[in-house]
Amino acid sequence: MNLLFGPLRRVYGLWPFVLPPIAGTAVMAMIIGALVVAPREIIEGEVQRLLYIHFPSIMAAYGAFAVVFVASLVVLWKRDMRWDAVARGAATVGVLFTGLTLATGALWGKPVWGVYWTWDARLTATLVLFLIYGAYLLARSMADELDEGAARFAAVFAVIGAFDIPLIMMSVRWWRTLHPQPIVFRGGGEAPAMPPEMVLVLLIAFIGIGSLAAWLTVLRSETEWTAKRTAALRAVIDRREGA
Amino acid sequence: MAVVVKDLRLAWRDRAGWASAGAFATIAVLTYSFAFDLATGDVRPLLPGVLWTTFLFAGIFAGGQSFARESEEGTFDALLLSPVSPTMIYVGKALANVLAMLMIEFAQLVLATILFDTNLVSLELLVIVIIGTVGAVSLTTLLSTMSASMRGRAMLLPVMALPLLVPLLIGAVRATGAALSLDAGTAPWTLLLGVFALWSAMLSVLLFPMAVER
Amino acid sequence: MALARPTRVTASTGAIVETRALTKRYGGLDVVRAVSIALPPGSRTALIGANGAGKTTLLALLSTLVAPSEGDATVAGHSLKDRPAALRRAIGVLAHRPMLYEEMTPLENLGFFARLYSVTDAEARIEELLRATGVWQRRHEPVAVLSRGYHQRLALARALLHRPAVLLADEPETGLDPEGVEMLDELALTVPGLTVIAATHRVDRIEAWATGLVRLEHGRAVEDTASIGVGASA
Repeated sequence: MNLLFGPLRRVYGLWPFVLPPIAGTAVMAMIIGALVVAPREIIEGEVQRLLYIHFPSIMAAYGAFAVVFVASLVVLWKRDMRWDAVARGAATVGVLFTGLTLATGALWGKPVWGVYWTWDARLTATLVLFLIYGAYLLARSMADELDEGAARFAAVFAVIGAFDIPLIMMSVRWWRTLHPQPIVFRGGGEAPAMPPEMVLVLLIAFIGIGSLAAWLTVLRSETEWTAKRTAALRAVIDRREGA
Repeated sequence: MAVVVKDLRLAWRDRAGWASAGAFATIAVLTYSFAFDLATGDVRPLLPGVLWTTFLFAGIFAGGQSFARESEEGTFDALLLSPVSPTMIYVGKALANVLAMLMIEFAQLVLATILFDTNLVSLELLVIVIIGTVGAVSLTTLLSTMSASMRGRAMLLPVMALPLLVPLLIGAVRATGAALSLDAGTAPWTLLLGVFALWSAMLSVLLFPMAVER
Repeated sequence: MALARPTRVTASTGAIVETRALTKRYGGLDVVRAVSIALPPGSRTALIGANGAGKTTLLALLSTLVAPSEGDATVAGHSLKDRPAALRRAIGVLAHRPMLYEEMTPLENLGFFARLYSVTDAEARIEELLRATGVWQRRHEPVAVLSRGYHQRLALARALLHRPAVLLADEPETGLDPEGVEMLDELALTVPGLTVIAATHRVDRIEAWATGLVRLEHGRAVEDTASIGVGASA
């Protein structure tokens, strides 16, 4: 499935040789770094090490959703179903890493703040994001592989969802300011306060999770495209047998 | 063109579907009454939430319904084949849905006024309901029209529509609360509602033609 | 019996329906493959081919219901890509499904479509067509209670309502009794001045009405006796 031109095409073709090694080494380094190298956080303890998965994960998810947005626009504009495969692949990765973010957040939150979940603005908005792109995947999975109308429907939904996100964040934030926040949410990463070892491990974590996300997206997109081509071939065979 | 829109509205007068939606909304409000014992105690803080969740679910349910027949009969294709532009087709459908929903919602406001001894029939509230309905129905009409031919559409529609409608729900409930003199904070909820309605209507009108041509 | 008086719109190339390498692809599968035909005005072309050969898709492309993956077509002077709304005014479509509003009566159905197509003498025209298709006696009954044969007749009436220049028909004989088939011939298939493209399985009847044929096989036009300047092509 080659969507790119000229030199970019060749670069894309290198992905099986580039992404797995980088992702593999970086993630290994991240794990070792997170568990051994990075110092124990004073206030929160060992649990804080989840940061190295938590923060890069949500960033990877945002990146994936950005890909879904762009790919969906192209699907609507050019009607090229290969971009639908890309959108599905990226959405799968995005939902995966958003789920990971929410899960690591819950695990982190319980010992530190006493609760698995709180309805603060950022968490709630992240949850809604998860729901929107989860719904996108549901819609795609329920449709026939070759159904272009269903693909365009999902693309429209993804585009609306992307434009909806600022409105969601705004409304949820206004909503939550009605209630005093019992917990001071420190968020994913405050660079100034972090010792250099932490910063280093975080950087490696970004590379690791980022390349992992990229690798998974490419894998998933290629798989989706192959599934479509298979379905098309099956349709040809059915046709010929019927005739 | 206006004549055409009017005729589209007439064509979509699928009485059976909207009657079911109206019945559903009524049952929902009554169900909430039993679930939350709304007849006693301080009911009012819950009312906006009860009303708007009912409106959203009824709207999604009815929107899906009203289009099911259209797609089964294949008459939607007949509309697409006609010289009428897809934009007009959408506007006609959305307008028809808005009007039908408004009728159902007004009936619910009257019912709730009686059941919960709270005056819900005020101009301020009606304006909020109208704006909120336009915002919600624009999106649900777009989604239900596009998903018409898909199986599992009935389940899919609420799952897809509700996350998108979160800002509308938050805004509408708080705006309604403010109109009823409940504590709703100082944020300009009606403004948010208006912005959402404008945004969803414009986006739907823009995206519909692209979505429909095969 | 020229009941339908079609408007005359002719393309500059001499053909009223012309396709240029028209292609429709679904997920890598070419359902219609580089079809190029050029049909003269007033011609009546039978579109034949096995199931799945692409007949329905080709008609769907010409009716603007489906967008082409490649290539273009011109119908009655209007390009598929540039002027779809004007194109739709010039064509009548008799599809596989009747596409009628079940709760409304034939009179209401035709009234609605007459408004959509801005038919000027709607009442008179509706009566004319309802009588010709034999639905007049049942014009006040909801379509849901009418039989398949009546649906087909009504669908034909709807297709001709706005006096199109070109009629696209997908297996128009479906559901019609011998009387109905006669009516179909009189109203549509042998009307001078009306250009017809009809996909059909009734190969036995072709000689009765068709002036040429196009055979599709796996999406490709393998035989074409209908196009201008073309004999039988391989």
